[in-house]
Amino acid sequence: MTDFTIVLRSLSLRRFSTTVTVTMVAVSVALLLVLLAMRDAGRAAFRRGTGNAHLLVSADTSPLVAVLNGMFYANAPSQPIDWAAYMKIREAFPWSWTIPTQLGDSFRGSPVMATSKEFFTNFEPVLGQPWSFVAGKVFEAPYEAVVGAEAARLHGLKVGSELVLAHGVGTASGEAAHEHEDHPVEVVGILAPTGSAHDRAIFTSLETGWCVHAEESRLKEAAAANPGEDDHGHLHVDPEDLRDSEKLITGILLRVPTRPGEQVSSALPVAFDLLRRQFPFTVAQPAQQVGRLFEIVSGVDTLFIAMAVAVMVAGALSVMLALYNSMDLRRRQVAILRVLGASQGRVFGLVLAESAIIGLLGSGLGIALAAIFGSVASAELQRRVGLVIDPTMDLRTIVLCTAAATFLACAAGIVPALRAYRTAVVQGLRPLG
Amino acid sequence: MNALSITGLELARPGGFRLSVPSLSLAQGEQALLVAPSGGGKSTLLHLVAGLEDPDAGSIAVADMPISSLRGAARDAFRGASIGMVFQTFNLLHGFSAIENLMVAMMFSSVPAATHESRARALLGELGIERPEQAVETMSVGQQQRVAVARALACRPTLVLADEPTASLDPANAATAIGLLQRACRDHGAALLCTSHDPTLRAHFSRVIDLGTTEAAR
Repeated sequence: MTDFTIVLRSLSLRRFSTTVTVTMVAVSVALLLVLLAMRDAGRAAFRRGTGNAHLLVSADTSPLVAVLNGMFYANAPSQPIDWAAYMKIREAFPWSWTIPTQLGDSFRGSPVMATSKEFFTNFEPVLGQPWSFVAGKVFEAPYEAVVGAEAARLHGLKVGSELVLAHGVGTASGEAAHEHEDHPVEVVGILAPTGSAHDRAIFTSLETGWCVHAEESRLKEAAAANPGEDDHGHLHVDPEDLRDSEKLITGILLRVPTRPGEQVSSALPVAFDLLRRQFPFTVAQPAQQVGRLFEIVSGVDTLFIAMAVAVMVAGALSVMLALYNSMDLRRRQVAILRVLGASQGRVFGLVLAESAIIGLLGSGLGIALAAIFGSVASAELQRRVGLVIDPTMDLRTIVLCTAAATFLACAAGIVPALRAYRTAVVQGLRPLG
Repeated sequence: MNALSITGLELARPGGFRLSVPSLSLAQGEQALLVAPSGGGKSTLLHLVAGLEDPDAGSIAVADMPISSLRGAARDAFRGASIGMVFQTFNLLHGFSAIENLMVAMMFSSVPAATHESRARALLGELGIERPEQAVETMSVGQQQRVAVARALACRPTLVLADEPTASLDPANAATAIGLLQRACRDHGAALLCTSHDPTLRAHFSRVIDLGTTEAAR
C-alpha cells in the first residue's frame, strides 16, 4: 500500500467526475497542441514552398502579393512581363539560374504554371530536395504536362491523361474560365509529393501556354477583321511562329551563385538592389516575404493561442471544482486517514497528487486526441485548399504542454488540498445523518 | 509504564459544556468502560486522549508520551503508532478491501512495510475474516466491526479507544462484539478504554469509570 494506491483508489471511487475532469483537461491540451502544431506546420509549409529561389520578379503590385501569387498560386498575376525584359534581367547579373514562369490558366480549379524545363532541374520545391517523379518525366514538347502530386490525386490524373486547360483560375467545376478545348494537353509526368503548394499545380512548357493564347488571340483578331464570317476555322500556331509580343510571362525565379552547400550569398543584396534600380518590376525575396506574412498574421495567431490557453485554464478550474466539491464527500475519508496517523501535510499532498494525476492523464489523452485532430485537420486542409502540412508535434512542445497542464492542475488542486488540510477530524468522524 | 495517564484535565466549550478529569490512569493491558450520561463528554475525552482535540489545561500521556504536548505531524505519527480507534460506525475506508484498510493504517506507522500484508492477513484471520480482499462496504455489519477491531490493532498500539462500539448492535450481538474486542486487545497486549451508554456492558469490565462521579479519579 502506498500513497499512490490511495490516490488512484480515490480517483476511481469518483469515476464519473474523474473521467469528465480528465476529458476536460484532455480537450484543452489537445486544442493547444493542435493549434501549435498547425501553426508550426503551416509556417513550415509556407517556408518549404519558397524552395531554393532567392528572388522572385513579378509585375504584381507588392512583393508579398508577388510571392503569394507566384509561389503559392493564390491568384493569377495581373500584369505580364515581356520576353525581352526577361532576357535583359537574365543578362543583367551572373545568376546561378533564372526560370521564367507564366500563371493564368487552370484545370478544374487547379492552377497551371507554364515554365521552362529548368524549373524541374534547377529549382528545388523544398530546400535540399529536388523534384522527383512517381511516374513519367518532364515535358519535352508543347501540349505536354507534368502534374503535381495533389492535383493528380484530386483529379485522378495519370500519365497519358488528357487535360483541357481553362483561361483564368475559375473554380473546381471550371466556371468563369474559358476552356482551350481545341488543345488538350497530355500528362507525361506525375510528381512525388513535396509538402509545398506546388503539389496542387499542373506544369506545362512556356510554349504550350504561349501557343494556346496566341491561337486564341489571333482567332479574335481574324474575327474582328472579318466580322461577317461565322467560322474562322482552327488556327494552329507553332512555337517558331510566335511573335515576341505573344511571349509573355508573369514571373521570374532567380538564384544568385552560392558556395557549394550554402544557401545564402553576399551577392543577394547586390542583385536585389540592381533589379530594383534597373527594372520597373516588383522584386521579392520569397523567404523574407513569408516571414512578413507571419508577422501580419501573428496577431490572429496570438489570439488563437490565447484562446487555447484560456481553455486550458478553464480545464484547470474544472479540476479545482471537481476536487473541491468532492471534499464534502471525502471529509470522512480525510478524517479517517488523520486518525490513522496521516499528517495534515500528507493529506494535502494526497489531494495535490490527485490533481497532478488528472493533469497527467488529461495531457496523455490530449496528446492522443491532438494526433487524431491534427491528422484530420491536415487531411481537410489538403482536401480544401491543397496546403500540404505535416502536423507532427515536436517533443519539446509535447513536454511543455504536459508540464503546463500538470502544473495548472496542481495549482487548481491547491484550494481543495487546503480544504483537506483544514478538515476538522472530529467533525469528519461523526456518524452521517 | 502506564498505558494512559491523565492529570488535571480541563476543557470548557461555549454553551456551558465542561469536562474535568483530575486524574485518570490505565495500566498496560488494562480494560475499562467509560460511562457518562449522553453529552457527558465520553467521546470528547477519547478525542482528547487521541490528540484530536486539545485540552484547556492538564496533561495526557499515552505510553508515558505526553501526547497533548506533541504538535502537528509528530502527534499524528504518535497516534498512528500507539493508539488504535474503533468507532460506532466503524469508519472504514470505502473503496478499499478489508486487508487494504489494515495496510493503510500500517502505512503511517513504524511497522516494517515488508510485514504489512502478512500481519494484516494474520489479524483478519484471527478475527474470522475469511475473505480479506472483499471490499468493506460489501461486508455485513458484524464483519465490518471485526475489520475495524483488526485495524485498531494493526500497528501494535499501547492503547485502543473504542467509542460506542456496540451502539448499533442488538444486545446479543453487542455482547459478542464487546467480547471480541476485549479478547483481541488482551491477546495483543493493548489497554482498552471503551465508552458506552449501554448499562449491560458494565458486567464485561472489571473497571468502570463514571465521568459524572469522582470515580474517574484513581
